[in-house]
Amino acid sequence: MIKQRTPLILVAAALLFSAVTAYGQTVPPASQQDELIAVLNAPDASRQQKAAACRQLSFIATKRAIPTLASLLADPDLNHMARYALETIPDPAVNDALLKALDTLQGKPLIGVMGSLGVRGETRAVAPLSERLTHQDPLVAQAAARALGQIGNAEAAQALSRAVSGAAGDTRLAVAEGLFRCAETTGGPTALGIYDRLLQLKTPHQVRAGALRGAILAREDGLDLLTTSLQSEDYILFSSAVQTAIEMSDARVTQVLSAALSGLPADSKILILGALAERGDPAALPTLVTAASRGNQAVRIAAIKAMPPIANAAALGTLVTLIKDPDAQIVQAAQTSLVALPGSAADQAVLGMLERGDPESQLQALELIGQRRMTDVAPALLKAARGNDAAVRVASIRMLGDLEDAVQFPVLIELLLGARSVQEVRAAEQTLSAVCTRDARPLPGQVTIRKAVYGAVGAGGSADVTQKVADMVSSGAAAIEASNASFGDPAAGVVKQLKIEFTANGVTQSQTVPEGRRITLLTSVTPPAYVNDLSAAMAQATSQQKRAILRVLRAAQGSAALDAVRTAMKDSDADVSSDATSIFCAWPSAEVLPEVLALARTATELKVKVVALRGAIRLIPLENITDAEKLAGFKAILPLIQRDDETRLLLGSLAEIPMPEALAITASYLDNAAVRNEACFAVIAIAEKMAPNNQAQIREALQRVLKTTTNAEVKKRAAQVLEKV
Amino acid sequence: MSKNTSKLTRRAFLKSAAVVGLPMIVPATVFGRGGRVAPSERIILGGVGIGSRGTHDLNWMLPESDVQFVATCDPQKSRAEKVKALVDKRYGNTDCKIYHNTPEFLAERTDIDALLVTTGDRWHAMASIMAMRAGKDVYSEKPSSMTVAEGRAVVETAKRYRRIYQTGTQRLSEGNFTFCNEMLRLGRLGKVHTVRAHIAPWDAAEMRHDWLPAQPLPSKEEVDWDAWLGPCPWRPYNASYCSGGWRGFYDFHTSCIGEWGAHTFASCQVAIGADKTAAVHYSYVPNESGDGMVVRFANGINMVLERDMDKKIWKGSCGVRYEGPEGWVAAADGYSIPDVSNPAMLGDFRKLVYDYSARTQRPMSHVRNFLDCVKSRHQTVANPEVMHYSMTTVHAANICMWLKRDLQYDPIKEQFVNDEQANRFLSRAMREPWII
Repeated sequence: MIKQRTPLILVAAALLFSAVTAYGQTVPPASQQDELIAVLNAPDASRQQKAAACRQLSFIATKRAIPTLASLLADPDLNHMARYALETIPDPAVNDALLKALDTLQGKPLIGVMGSLGVRGETRAVAPLSERLTHQDPLVAQAAARALGQIGNAEAAQALSRAVSGAAGDTRLAVAEGLFRCAETTGGPTALGIYDRLLQLKTPHQVRAGALRGAILAREDGLDLLTTSLQSEDYILFSSAVQTAIEMSDARVTQVLSAALSGLPADSKILILGALAERGDPAALPTLVTAASRGNQAVRIAAIKAMPPIANAAALGTLVTLIKDPDAQIVQAAQTSLVALPGSAADQAVLGMLERGDPESQLQALELIGQRRMTDVAPALLKAARGNDAAVRVASIRMLGDLEDAVQFPVLIELLLGARSVQEVRAAEQTLSAVCTRDARPLPGQVTIRKAVYGAVGAGGSADVTQKVADMVSSGAAAIEASNASFGDPAAGVVKQLKIEFTANGVTQSQTVPEGRRITLLTSVTPPAYVNDLSAAMAQATSQQKRAILRVLRAAQGSAALDAVRTAMKDSDADVSSDATSIFCAWPSAEVLPEVLALARTATELKVKVVALRGAIRLIPLENITDAEKLAGFKAILPLIQRDDETRLLLGSLAEIPMPEALAITASYLDNAAVRNEACFAVIAIAEKMAPNNQAQIREALQRVLKTTTNAEVKKRAAQVLEKV
Repeated sequence: MSKNTSKLTRRAFLKSAAVVGLPMIVPATVFGRGGRVAPSERIILGGVGIGSRGTHDLNWMLPESDVQFVATCDPQKSRAEKVKALVDKRYGNTDCKIYHNTPEFLAERTDIDALLVTTGDRWHAMASIMAMRAGKDVYSEKPSSMTVAEGRAVVETAKRYRRIYQTGTQRLSEGNFTFCNEMLRLGRLGKVHTVRAHIAPWDAAEMRHDWLPAQPLPSKEEVDWDAWLGPCPWRPYNASYCSGGWRGFYDFHTSCIGEWGAHTFASCQVAIGADKTAAVHYSYVPNESGDGMVVRFANGINMVLERDMDKKIWKGSCGVRYEGPEGWVAAADGYSIPDVSNPAMLGDFRKLVYDYSARTQRPMSHVRNFLDCVKSRHQTVANPEVMHYSMTTVHAANICMWLKRDLQYDPIKEQFVNDEQANRFLSRAMREPWII
């Protein structure tokens, strides 16, 4: 016999090796059952091997494994793992083995076997388990109670009912749990009897609460008990009743809850109002309206918050009234609920506030229109924009710019021309600019990414994402989002921005947006009619209005808008022509460069010369020309520069040109204390890009930087570059 | 509304007890509030098994003005002491009490209204059930269960004792995920046919069954190893288990599928209106993780398990993606805004999240949702049923991988269809005396 078994054990041990090492296969083949049983019978198998065998048997064992597994139930080391396997075997012989073990076991092994009998729902265990409800070991008594509950038949319920009065402490809790389980299984009159019994007993709060729920729901008509419980001075019963009301579909429950409100403390009222909201029955609305209108502030707010889930038009009037309440917190709650209240009736109520309300209500209505993201409101907004109150006019004009359903552009221009204050002009200008940008249509064409950098706004890390953006564009992206999701996080914990220089349809542009915004990589054009309307409006506009129109033209962009700006540069009004010149020199595309350069050369007025020079310094790098040509352009304007500010800008642009002459020019400024810092940065940047060519010149320039600068960071960078030369 | 009928405060009582040498097991009537937490009252909070993740949760709870954390229980002394140090520093006192035995803790601290349960996965359901039986509300870390039977027991216990329960699947209370759910619910994506749920890109569906080498058992005061194991099969002590090394073991973990699926399956099932059911069909995939497994719900929607090793679908962890004929939306950790097929979809982002909160009365704070519900007695967003059914899908997907064959599941009967062997995995015999 031993001779026959030994090889089997060896096979089993080999099989088990995979089970007790990392990432083994969970489920063995059914054919391994005998080998696994042999491991359990082997006197020299380790506890780990036997535990692993039990686990594997739990997935495949049949009746054949039961005797061996049952023999382990008395083993304190393996009792649990034996049950681990036995509990899963469908064969009823498992129950026979467990029942038999009941009489022989004590302590934890006994508790385990009682638990397994409960899991398997073995009704033959009711009698022996019932006997153990009064066991001297409270853990055994508690396990018996829970197992009886899992079996859950009428006999088990009777045994538990008999035991509950005499049980104390945790054992009473366990018996109560057993009774709950029986009630859940049996339902009907038995369940009702159990819940009523538990309600009558002195039990912990959670048992009382659960028993009340059961008692209400198990009754054919639980409304009476619900009503009584809502009047209970015991907060546990009261709150359990409210909680149970949420589960009840009976329409009369709303009335019962509403009727219970009167005379209750604030906390209890809040609980009921929350339940009414959760039930969502429109019949609760009169109760909510009354509670929202007067009384304790916390109760009023709870009633107001309860209205959106019910979503009834009748709530509107109350909420509209409440947003004028003297209590700011009530106003805030009412406004919040008004925003959330769904449906067109709520939209109409808000429009009514705008059309018929006093200025304060009108302003509130405008805010609500925005928050509710209402549509089809243009006529009402236009009317308000022409009304008598200045603040309402400004707010209405601003909101018109947010509308997707466009107001006719000429109508918006009319608003600008009819503006009665600086604020109104400004609001109209912003609206017109927003509409121009929104309605601009992209021009299809080739987009070339020249440079893209994503990184911290101020000091901090950044990443060159040129290739990434170029890849995104070649995969069809027309807009690039500035986000960590797109580019990773080069500067954790700080606000970042994305800057992209690109050429679209031959026009080079540079755009910068903060995190969360997108850059659209297409040239776009505002509808020509808009630009025509704006140009025509210049003739009838005041000086202030003309200056606003110029800013709108800047937003519109395109050659027609540029022509209008050119014309305005000759306006007889000095302020208008000055603004037009500034806008012209700041135009985003390089097509204006020749005229800007001419202005820089010929202007006699310092202000004009300065804006032209600044424009030229900005525009030269955007031209699609070689570095040598760019350098020639900078050299041409160098004699025109008179102020340090423009010199600094120029040094910044020269820093991008890795040529010996650019290095020589920037180095010549190292002795100028006013711009030395920028000169140092430019020299280092050029040197970095030029290395390893022109080493002598680079070395000399960097040594001059090291000699002249007092900035430790600059010194460090210069030394690093010098080391590489 | 008096907060406590006894004029003797807990702190004063403990001081006086110490002076006269009374035993420290204090009868419930001294400071128990009988389970009531009215809307205007403070919530007395305790903790069980608070480690690194639990500390994260605790740091969300401590600043809430209506929370007072008073005690922690842990079989590992060093962890309990860290929690006490954190809490005492917050309150500027030395009041936080330490316990090592959960039944004793629950029996003694009847003043505690709610418990933060952040043990290892093996204890989540058992500790939650014990706490709810003792009349506490529970905020438990995910996963809510190790087996279908445990999940069902959590549901029944919460219902039986009228307890409030929330699982720490906090993405159910985050704006980006809520926006995606609302886009789906409102039909903005058309009739959604596919949702994708991220599973952890490490480990495998098959887990370890071996034991780490036995090490000398520390004193029971340092680590109560028997309590640490709880309802799981016994194995010898090894310090690695106690410092997070339990992950990847069959007895203690729910695999790479459960690691993130506890979050992502819940999000997907809530989104598609399958939060009161589990998937009905599971298609086996011959790989180590379940990557690409398609599970189908009775409403015809497929959920695809995605490991997304090359980050083609998501750029963060625990992602979900919903796809319909009108477009798709996706969210994952670290997104500043949801990923969408059309930027115009984001125009209503704030409005949709705002309306959701107003309609459901659920704030965009998972912890706050729990605390509000402790007072209002409303269901939390990650309530026992939502968590049970989503974890059922997790468990069934794991079982599908272990059995290496397609499975059919009946969510009403909570059993696999005509598959006796698969049904063996629905529960595991618990080690005595930790029996539900």
